This record gives sequence, structure tokens and C-alpha cells, in this order.
Amino acid sequence: MSGDHDYEHHIEPWGPHDWSHGAPHNSFAPLVMSIGFGVFLYTFANIFVMGELVDISSMAGVMLGFIIITLGLMIWWRQDMSFDGVYEPKGVGAPFRNIDLRKVAMWIFLMSEMMVFTSLFSTYIRYRLGIQNCEELFLSGEWVEGTTVTCFEPAAHLIASSWFHLAPGAVNTFALIISSFTIVLALKTAKMSNKKYAKKYNIDKSDVDAHRSRKVGVFLGSTLFLATLFLTLKLIEWFIGFPTPGPLTELNHGYDSIKSLYSEGYTIHAAAYTNVHYDADPTSKYFHIPADSALAMMMDAGTHPGGVMMADIRVSASTFYVTTGTHGVHVFAGMVGLSYMTFKALRGGYGPSNAVSIEYFGLYWHFVDLVWVLVFPFFYLF
Amino acid sequence: MAGYTILGRDPYWMNFWGLMILTAIEVIAVGVEISKAITMSILIGIAIPKFIMIAAIFMHLYGDADSKILTMTALFPAFFIIVMVFFIGLTSPGAPTELPAWCRPPSWL
Repeated sequence: MSGDHDYEHHIEPWGPHDWSHGAPHNSFAPLVMSIGFGVFLYTFANIFVMGELVDISSMAGVMLGFIIITLGLMIWWRQDMSFDGVYEPKGVGAPFRNIDLRKVAMWIFLMSEMMVFTSLFSTYIRYRLGIQNCEELFLSGEWVEGTTVTCFEPAAHLIASSWFHLAPGAVNTFALIISSFTIVLALKTAKMSNKKYAKKYNIDKSDVDAHRSRKVGVFLGSTLFLATLFLTLKLIEWFIGFPTPGPLTELNHGYDSIKSLYSEGYTIHAAAYTNVHYDADPTSKYFHIPADSALAMMMDAGTHPGGVMMADIRVSASTFYVTTGTHGVHVFAGMVGLSYMTFKALRGGYGPSNAVSIEYFGLYWHFVDLVWVLVFPFFYLF
Repeated sequence: MAGYTILGRDPYWMNFWGLMILTAIEVIAVGVEISKAITMSILIGIAIPKFIMIAAIFMHLYGDADSKILTMTALFPAFFIIVMVFFIGLTSPGAPTELPAWCRPPSWL
């Protein structure tokens, strides 16, 4: 050590400028990708306005953006593929002295991400508390059939209405927790010393590398599978729905399928949403207005004609889709990274000297899980 | 990796099962017929330890040599988060027009 610089640890603060032999940093690829994202987002925003297709010519820009992003990713991965952990840059000044710079950078990135999600959560809290709940509005009787009223309809009202509706979200929660664990297992396996590894799996030292590559690849591949499952179930929940097998039909109020949120009318376009619960018809299968509610009393007194309440739920639907969609985009980004890492692992790319790369990706992945820990109860359950 | 154990076992393994159990309780709490206030209390009461368990154990904010400084880094945006949640999230939509006269600009009616 000499002064503020850890010269013993590495010779030159910015490391070797040789893409083929080590440095995981000094890459211009993220800059290329940023330009690609800029082109993509700018042109994508021009295609749709209020859900209407207005400028199909911008599709060319969207494709160009995709190509630039893909090019940036390929350059980045090409540079990283040969990274064997020989050079891991460390912080040289307070407060991050001797801490891996990539680790610090990842944490700072995650904190900026935390701000993004906090803004989404504060928006949700703001609207949830500020706009009258649809069910409360319905029971208050302060509505007239044929006129649309603005109210907040939490997605949980639909999702948590039955175990079947809740199933995709609940399975996804478990999938993310298991995936957080599989990535930890990948890190543990990659980090283990050759001697310890050979002893643990009772194999010859010469077989350790091949055995380790396969095992790390399997753990990372499992994480990728669980991430894919997560997005598939989200797709089913949002747009597709699923059938309920015969014997379970009775448990689903007699219906043989679970509708998607889109089919239920829970969309950002629906200005006149009518949920079955907002039907005041006493002969309706779902008639369940509490006798002590203002609406029931008004109907008994003949001062409210009943009928079906039409609600404008665009704010609540937007809040739900933007927040869970942003989280989904993060899962997708993780899948892109995991695809590469699984490929690299199966080629023997990870060992004790560079296992920290898995750790840093793991930080991102755990963060995605962390956000879901908050999204799930507040958007799916309550 | 972690240089400590939880109840004498691997902390990641214990953390994983802890998270699975807490999530199961969360889902069951929504399925059973209880008041909304109790459901909400259970959901918040479970989300907080889950959040801490993932951050502390899976993300190594506990037990590593650099855990302390990285925890401080992670807590840095807490101030902004508090501002956003309490001063934006919990404000009323009528706040700009329903402020008492003494804290409104003179030009406001």
C-alpha cells in the first residue's frame, strides 16, 4: 500500500486495456446499448398515442433501436466471455477502499432502481388513498345507472377473489424465491475451491472443472427457467386465462375457465368497467349487497333504482399495469443476462477466480425478488 | 460466502425456507375470511421481514466484511423514499385546493 492507492493489488488503476485478457470494465458496449435504448424508446413512444396506432413508420426506428441494443450486448458479451477474474478493480479511496468497484457500482445502480420503483409505489398509494374505492362507491349508492363514475378498482379485487385467480401470482412468488436460491447455489458452487469441491462431490481433481461447469450451468439454467415461468404466468394472467379442470369447476363458481384480466375488462382503456359485483339486481347470481349498506337501505326505501354501476377504472388499471409491467421488464432483462451466463457457465466460464460476476448479477436478481415481495401483497392480495 | 450460520445450519438454506413459509402464510391470510385491516396488518407484517431477509442474507448486507458500508449505501436513498411515500403518496388529491388559508399563497382564492 502506498498513500491512497492500492498499488500492491493492481499495477495500474484502470487495469489492462486488453479485451481478450481480463478487464471486465473499460467497455464501450454499455454506451452503444444506451444509444440503442434511446432510439428504441423515442421511436416506440411515437407509435401509439392513447392506445391508437398513429405512426407505423416509427417501427423502423424501433427495429434500429433493437439492432443497436443487440449489437451492444454482443460486444459486451464478447469482451466478458474471456474474463477469468485475473483483474478485479478495487476502490482506492474512502469510503469504498478495497471493495470491488463493480460491487459498489451495482449497489448504486440498484439504489437508482429503488427510486424508480418508489415513485411507482408512491403513485399507487396516492391514487389508492385519494380516489374512492369502487366497491365503497357502489355500496354508498352515490351512482346512477347509465352514468360512468370514476373510482379506484384494485386489481386484487379480481385476483384475490378466488384461489384460481390468485394461482399465477402465488406460483410466481414462489418461483422468484426459488430462483433467488438457485442463483445463490450457482455462486456457492462456482466459488468453492477445487480441493473442497473434489472432496464434497468425491471426484478426482482433474474432473472438477467439467463437473463444476455443468453444475453452475444447471443452477443458472434453473434460474432462467423460473424467470421464464414467471413471465409466462404473467402473460396468462394478463391476456390468456386458463381452464379449470372438471372436478374443480364447482369451486370456481361453476365456471370452467379463469378469465384473464384483459377479458374481465380490467384494461387501461375501459372507461365503463362493469364488474359482476357492481350489479344491484337481487336475482343476480352475485347479489351480495350487505343489508346495512347505504345502497341496500336506499333500494329498500325506493330512493335508488339499483342497476349496474359503470366505473372508470383507467387510473387503477394503469397503476397496476405500469408497476407490474416495469417489474416484468426487469425480469426480462434478467432473463437476457441469465441466457448469456448459462451459456458461459456451460463453456466452463465460471470458477473461484471470477465467481463474483455471478454474485453481482445475483444482487440484481435478488433486487427483482425484493421488489416483488412488495408488489405481490399490495397489488395482488390487497 | 457467509461466514456464519443460522441455528447451526447454512444461512441461505434457512433463509430460503423462511421466505417460503412466510409467503405461504401471506397467501393463506388472503384466502381466509378475516377483516381487511387484519389482512393488511398481516401482509405488511410479513413483507417487512421478507424484505430484510432477502437484503441481509441473500444480498450479503449482513455478515460480510463490506456489509456495513454497503448497507449505508443501500440506505442512502431512504430519505428520498420517505419524502416520496409520505409527502407524495399520502397526500390528498384535494390538498392543493383544501389547504388552510394561512399556508396558501395570497393569490389563491
